[in-house]
Amino acid sequence: MKMLVKLVLVVVLVAGLAIFTGAGVAHGEKVKLVIVGRDGPYGEGMQLAVDTYMAENPNVEIELLKLPWAGLREKVVIDFREAIGAYDLVVFDDPWATEFMSVGWLEDLEALGLSLDPDFVDKAVAVGRYPYPDGKIYALPHVGNVELFAYRKDLFEKHGIPHPPETWAHVLGAAAIIDAKEPDIHGIVFRGIKGNPILGGFLPIFWSFGAKVLDVEKRETLVYSPEALAALEFFLNLKKYAPVGVEIYDSSELKETLLAGDVAMAIEIWPAWVPDLDNPEKSKVVDKVEIIAAPGLIDKPAPIIGIWLLGIPVASKNKPAALDFLQFVTSARIQKLMCMETGLPPTRESLYKDSEIVGRYRWYPKQLEALKASRPRPRVVEWGEIEPKFGDYIHLALVGELTPEEALKEVHAEIAEILGR
Amino acid sequence: MKRFVSRAILFHERYFHFIILLPSLIIIIILTLYPLINVLYLSFYHYSYITGTKYYVGLANFIRIFNDRYFLKGLENTLNFSIFATFFELLAGFGLALLFNIRFRGKKYLLPVVILPMMLSTMVICATWRAMYHYEYGIINYIFRYLGIGDGVKWLMDRNIAMWSVIMVDIWQLTPFAFLIILAGLQSIPDELHEAARVDGAGAAQVFRHITLPLLKPHILMVVLLRTIDTLKIFDKVYALTGGGPGTATVTMSYYIYREGFTYFNLGRASAASVIMFVVVAIVSSLYIGYVIRGQARG
Repeated sequence: MKMLVKLVLVVVLVAGLAIFTGAGVAHGEKVKLVIVGRDGPYGEGMQLAVDTYMAENPNVEIELLKLPWAGLREKVVIDFREAIGAYDLVVFDDPWATEFMSVGWLEDLEALGLSLDPDFVDKAVAVGRYPYPDGKIYALPHVGNVELFAYRKDLFEKHGIPHPPETWAHVLGAAAIIDAKEPDIHGIVFRGIKGNPILGGFLPIFWSFGAKVLDVEKRETLVYSPEALAALEFFLNLKKYAPVGVEIYDSSELKETLLAGDVAMAIEIWPAWVPDLDNPEKSKVVDKVEIIAAPGLIDKPAPIIGIWLLGIPVASKNKPAALDFLQFVTSARIQKLMCMETGLPPTRESLYKDSEIVGRYRWYPKQLEALKASRPRPRVVEWGEIEPKFGDYIHLALVGELTPEEALKEVHAEIAEILGR
Repeated sequence: MKRFVSRAILFHERYFHFIILLPSLIIIIILTLYPLINVLYLSFYHYSYITGTKYYVGLANFIRIFNDRYFLKGLENTLNFSIFATFFELLAGFGLALLFNIRFRGKKYLLPVVILPMMLSTMVICATWRAMYHYEYGIINYIFRYLGIGDGVKWLMDRNIAMWSVIMVDIWQLTPFAFLIILAGLQSIPDELHEAARVDGAGAAQVFRHITLPLLKPHILMVVLLRTIDTLKIFDKVYALTGGGPGTATVTMSYYIYREGFTYFNLGRASAASVIMFVVVAIVSSLYIGYVIRGQARG
């Protein structure tokens, strides 16, 4: 009898444990996906995709975490490194891609069953491959950001300045003229805040002057060079025509000044920032702003590619469901929905030729050209550390704490030290 | 049996307090001592959290840090922030405490208003002040322009002003802390002492100098100690208001550690900087604590 009681107790205990640990999850029960991504317009776009997916797939529940840029990287790196597996899908910026892919934190998507659609813009797919540009696919392009240049066509015409500006020298000249002749309008605007943001405006100038940050093959820094010095001095000249306090301008300030009609040119805008450019409720410059690829100088125009990628962490516990959502969110139908509703630029070539989308965003054909001519930031594992350091020193030159030569010399030493470890 | 009982009693008397302390001791070791030793250990290594690369570098992290303009400026800024914020918070808190120590109408309604800033979230406060400090649209510059005082101040944009702007927010938020401690001190001084002094012919200034101030000394030292320790660790306001800029104008030691640890994921260097910061805070705190203990010993 005692034996029987013991046996019953053991069975009850095991059954209880099985229920508590979820070992008895039946087929057809809800799958829960956790996605971590960006806040702002990126978050709104993803939320729309999530809501649409959940409406069409009632057995899948998705939790979407929307984080700011810096917070996102911190959280994702810690989750990846500790193999916590808190996230099933991760949205990340392409400068972080090499870092994440090279240390084996992301799943090979083709091994999971992905078949790549040739409709994706090649350059956008390439940044999700490791090794770049034709290795395995670890992430799919989710937002087709490419850096563009914006200028006020009406002001150029008013002051008889030929447009579009084809070189950075033309840009400087136009900024000086408009700044002098328009009392309430500044010649130019860019992001001056330290770290990654300031490089958004500076790198296209830097590259177009023929300067290079790294020799990726030799793992050497080339940042202290006559070309780099000329580019930095040119960049500092542009500051004369920028609004007061441009040193601490980030994307929100840049967007505000552009939409308010306070600036004649923005050397750096990202398509996801300005879907409301022609919306009379939010913009004072409807139909007045032209958007083009960044000008060139010695070298051809070199717009930065800034794709937001979507990958599946190795530690994810729901990989098949995550892959299904990944394919859904990057499909032409959902990219078009996100583009029309929230202004997120697509990563599929067909959508840049879609008449409905082009009717809404007139600059999309030029955006596609820029995307195809774009250049990624150097694909080295250490870029996550090099980029903010480089930005910090360019900022120190911008605020006048260092001369351009000192800034480049010091950042050259910093980057050499990082690469030499 | 008797011997055993007496031994048990002896053991109980000698060691019972240690046994009682043991759980707390274990928690302190796990939560404080272990991280501290680990940070000290990591400070002698190059440790990239991303790649997992870890190797011994001796004192290289410390040497590198003491040659890093960001760290050196961070050290200078931290000390400046600590000295000025603590000083002005003590001064303003003292003034408010003296005011609230006298009877006036509406005091009970005004008191919650005065201590309100301390109860608000730092991030909310910083977002509000950031908007108020805005060069073009901020209310402070709007008032200045309305009154015809200049063209506006570059509160967070000017390298020479930005740190003062951060200090001002700290003073606004944490003066109530100094105020409450000093008010408690003032209210603990028996009225009889003041009355006796007045009977002996002492004026208000003499009463303040010879009675109030000496009796408030422990409270003042407490404010100075706690605010100094807290301000030496300043991070949140810098992060939310200026991000350490413009340039290196508002970089602090904590902000430097954060950048090394969570932007570059260079844990060896972040640990070395943390060790330096720990030493600075420990030296300053022990000076104060030593001073207080010596003061108490003298009676």
